[in-house]
Amino acid sequence: MKILIIIPAYNEAKKIEQVVAEIKNQDYDVLVVDDGSSDDTAKMAEQAGAVVLSHQLNRGQGASLKTGIKYALKKGYDTVVFFDADDQMDAKEIKMLITKQKETGVEVVLGSRFLGRAINIPFIKKIVLKTALFGTRLMTGLKITDVHNGFQLWTRDALKKIELKQDKQAYASELLDQISKKKLLYCEAPVTITYTNYSKGKGQKISNAFNILWDLVVKK
Amino acid sequence: MLIQYILIATILLIIIRQIYLLKDGKLNKRQFILWLLVWLVAGIVIIFPDITSYFAIKAGVTRGVDLVVYISIILLFYICFRLLIRIEKMEKNITDFVRSVALKDKDEE
Repeated sequence: MKILIIIPAYNEAKKIEQVVAEIKNQDYDVLVVDDGSSDDTAKMAEQAGAVVLSHQLNRGQGASLKTGIKYALKKGYDTVVFFDADDQMDAKEIKMLITKQKETGVEVVLGSRFLGRAINIPFIKKIVLKTALFGTRLMTGLKITDVHNGFQLWTRDALKKIELKQDKQAYASELLDQISKKKLLYCEAPVTITYTNYSKGKGQKISNAFNILWDLVVKK
Repeated sequence: MLIQYILIATILLIIIRQIYLLKDGKLNKRQFILWLLVWLVAGIVIIFPDITSYFAIKAGVTRGVDLVVYISIILLFYICFRLLIRIEKMEKNITDFVRSVALKDKDEE
């Protein structure tokens, strides 16, 4: 089974080497999509052993993932795992996602920090995510516990079925929408997301929720 | 009224700027004539505001100014809508292009 870990990254020179190294230690292929970073993200990622694709302009996390997906499909990978560049995720849990997919035969495994652990999660972030749950259930009918979790496993067949149009953060909602529309088999898995001062500084502002809503409404 | 002088002066400045844009080739003939007509209509309405009253009464609106505002709002919404669509298309084109460059670099390696 050919597995690729895709890491979309924007100005993560401080953490990317460490993040990539931890995953390489687990013996997986790593692709970092450098989304127009102004720092040394690409260089650091390459040093740590990742294949790097570089966007010359910053286009957003959704766009970066789509580029990574295109690469994965082109190179014949049959399983893809999305992983964040800010060191909030645990590389050791990748194996668990893969095992879960094998056991259940699903097409998508969605990581959930509320089934797993959300260490040091800012209270307001928790509220916003839980609120988004209702919106997502309403729009997609999906009964999941974590609607914006970047730790996901997708099989090749599932990736071929979906169409991604959102360039920025709204992609996460779009992915769920696609799972619902294309009736993909999915399940959730408990994962650990650790919030540090670094990652909290780099994370989305709560106000971005409005931008996401706007993007979803004015869909491309 | 003072507002009429201010508005007419503004329109004249806009038309002068338009002439320069036309000369510089930044505006083509068709666009120039189109916008010139727009400003001329605006100018006529400003100098003879009672014209709007005539249309307003026909449309069942009490004041001429109100009619102008209603029509302007609809027009502005429409223009915004069209602009949004164009911007979305441009953003998509940029992303598609940036993506193709990123992937092409890899192909060559």
